[in-house]
Amino acid sequence: MAKKSEGTSPLTGVNPTTEAQPEDPGVQIENEAATPSGPLSIKDGEGEGGEAEGPGEADIQAFIDIAQRLEHELCSIVVGQEQVIRELLLALLAGGHVLLEGVPGLGKTLLVRTLSDALALKFTRIQFTPDLMPADIVGTTIVTEQSDSNSAGSRRVFTFQPGPIFANIVLADEVNRATPKTQSALLEGMQEHTVSVGDATRPLPSPFFVMATQNPLEMEGTYPLPEAQLDRFLLKVLVRFPLARDLMRIIDTTVGTQTLRAGKVASGEQLMQLMETARAVPVATHVKEHAVRLLLATHPDQEDAPEQVRKFVRYGASPRGLQALIMTGKVRALLEGRYNVSTEDLQAVAFPALRHRIILNFDGLADGITPEDLIGTIIEETEIS
Amino acid sequence: MATIAPSRHTAPSQSAAAGKGLTEALRSWRRRLWIQQMLHWTENGVIAGLTLACLLLLISRLTPWDGAIYWAVGVATVSLLSALGAALWYRPSFARSAHLVDTQLALHDRLSTAWELRTDSAPISVLQRHDALRQLGKHTPGAVISLWPKRIRLITFGAVAIVLALLLLLPNPMNTLLKQQAAFQNQLASQIAAINQIRKEIDNQEAISAQERTQIDKILREAMNQLQQAKNGAQAQQVLAQAQANLNQLRDPQATSKALASAAASSSLAKSSNANLSAAGKALATGDSKGLDTALQNLASQISSMTPAQRAQLAQQIEQSANQALNNPALSSALHQLAKSVADGSPGEISDAINAVETAAAHDSATQATNSSIDQASQTLENAANTLASSTDNTNSQASGQSQTPGQGQNPGQGQAPGQGQGINGSGGQNNAGNKQGKNEQVYVPGQVGSGTSTITANGDNGTVQSGSPVPYSQVIAQYQQMAHDAIDNSSIPPDLKDLIQGYYNSLEGQQ
Repeated sequence: MAKKSEGTSPLTGVNPTTEAQPEDPGVQIENEAATPSGPLSIKDGEGEGGEAEGPGEADIQAFIDIAQRLEHELCSIVVGQEQVIRELLLALLAGGHVLLEGVPGLGKTLLVRTLSDALALKFTRIQFTPDLMPADIVGTTIVTEQSDSNSAGSRRVFTFQPGPIFANIVLADEVNRATPKTQSALLEGMQEHTVSVGDATRPLPSPFFVMATQNPLEMEGTYPLPEAQLDRFLLKVLVRFPLARDLMRIIDTTVGTQTLRAGKVASGEQLMQLMETARAVPVATHVKEHAVRLLLATHPDQEDAPEQVRKFVRYGASPRGLQALIMTGKVRALLEGRYNVSTEDLQAVAFPALRHRIILNFDGLADGITPEDLIGTIIEETEIS
Repeated sequence: MATIAPSRHTAPSQSAAAGKGLTEALRSWRRRLWIQQMLHWTENGVIAGLTLACLLLLISRLTPWDGAIYWAVGVATVSLLSALGAALWYRPSFARSAHLVDTQLALHDRLSTAWELRTDSAPISVLQRHDALRQLGKHTPGAVISLWPKRIRLITFGAVAIVLALLLLLPNPMNTLLKQQAAFQNQLASQIAAINQIRKEIDNQEAISAQERTQIDKILREAMNQLQQAKNGAQAQQVLAQAQANLNQLRDPQATSKALASAAASSSLAKSSNANLSAAGKALATGDSKGLDTALQNLASQISSMTPAQRAQLAQQIEQSANQALNNPALSSALHQLAKSVADGSPGEISDAINAVETAAAHDSATQATNSSIDQASQTLENAANTLASSTDNTNSQASGQSQTPGQGQNPGQGQAPGQGQGINGSGGQNNAGNKQGKNEQVYVPGQVGSGTSTITANGDNGTVQSGSPVPYSQVIAQYQQMAHDAIDNSSIPPDLKDLIQGYYNSLEGQQ
């Protein structure tokens, strides 16, 4: 009697039952070089006919443990920014870069530094200023003296002096104060994880994260990030002012004689393994369809776009926004104790994943519309299939 | 901020077995969901059906709609059966069931993902399936999926049922109108049958010429067709009046005077001392063509043996009869010719004259037969008009309840024009003063309905038409005309209508 089709999805045309692997084909973050045989490569699930691939139960439990400890460490030092820390972790475990926006003094730099401490990763901080040059970021070739074994003397050779971008975690502080030329020095590194200087392309260390901050208040003399560069940030996290009780805790933890430092929680290799684990989380077809609907609803030229979007949006989110939704949704699902991505995950991550990808038009800016308003509307009006 | 660890559990040996387990676990949920769907859809069907039934019954209270109750019952039944059939047909699939259970149990798409990946053997998919089954195992379908209708549906059903009950129990004002329409249609059908009967009878009358039969038949057929399409009494009366007028146009306007002239001539001939001429007069009076032929032939034979003096005397008698028949030119001319030929004694001329007399007599007989048939048809139409008028009056009286005071609509002395009971031109009277239906509306007065000869009596005091002793037409017309003139003089009838009424009676006088 059952006549309801269980087959092809109306949105994607994909038959869910034949799509056994829940991999997101659109995700192009290249971390295949990461070795799956790390300390967490326990394959509990290989009893499934001996052909099991991907993370097992132990990997997932390790993911949970490390994520919990990492979150705990960060929350113990950075007070009152639990939401920011959660979103930062989402981006970190999804292998993406984060743009932190908030007024000075809210602990953005502290947060990133604590993160690098907890992960025992190489951390560099670049203070972006108007006179900062690209070479100050990516490095440059300089003439150095080298001993010559043949002539028993020395000779001058050109050697590459790596810039601060050659680190695992790069804090681009006040990124919007540098010129667009300098800002663009980050582009290749963020997308390709390589740096091209002269005629050589050098890989960046793995994992590689860019945590950029910007101040939304002092806009004079700044260079707002172009859309292309904004799009390369997986999430844009708003650092809000702490509540009164959090301010009390800040007093207790920061003004006393004790200096808190985060303990090491995981190594870079473990972090890579966590990222690999997160990528294996399956996504059902209807959840993917919901993600696509959410993304399409940000475009004013789409039929299903809400009226507000049509009225106030100039450009909607790019496919990178879809990747951000799915990837951070996977991480959130694991953090929430699930092995699958749900539509609730997508709705939860929609704000940080899409807010910097929605470009308002003049009407929207003039009326004081915020991307958060629009995303809220989109979530409300996008039905779940 | 709390991070929840997924539960640990033992992975099954085969993913297929896990898929079967998921199917088995979902089966009971699916069955429960199906039952819930059937119940809910049926509830919706019942509510929708009752709402539609209410709507139809409401419409039937605004406009006459015979059979609205049956439509309401039908719509409600169809709605119910459609909803039930759709619920049976669209049984929720496993995927749909998984999604619904996900929603009801807030499982965050665990089940729907597990169902989609039920054949996937990846460790995380196996873990996901087991997690979904573990979460599902915490609940039972009976406890989660309620089969009781929601309160809002119960309230809606109650409200609709109350409205429906009120619509069914409270009297529908349109039912009276429907009964009136049905009664009118029945009356109309019976009158059409009566007209058809008289039409057939006229068709079978050989005394009438074929052309006249065809014309009468056509008029009656048109009348029947138009009557079948009549929506109300006024239309029917109009049709009947038009048919009567058309029939009257077929009459010979001089038929009456000719008949009187013929009767006078016949009477004169019948008084003759000559037996053959007297027999011819009697035959002419009765319309007996054979008798007339025989008598005239005998007279022709007798003339040959008569003396000139006798022939002159006989010719004089015939001449007197011819003079009596001046209003019937054909008969008068034939009799003149016969008188002259008798006086001359020429057998050939006598024979020709006899033929002429016979032809004139035959023509008169045919004319009388035609007029008789027209009278018959016209009387039938008049009876139909009267019957319909009386039924309309009755239904109108019933429809208006008891508020109509006696004499307003039925008072014979006020609005009923003289001559309406005549049976031919029964329409065209002035409007009833009490019914306020407009100045030029025709008012019909019931005449003698039923079998037997129609007899008209005129009550000079109030103009009512009653059955009783016969009164000559001319006397009735004269009385009514006088009454009309008195009424015109004593009332505020507009001058143009005065002329119209006077013209009407003048036309009636001309038909005497």
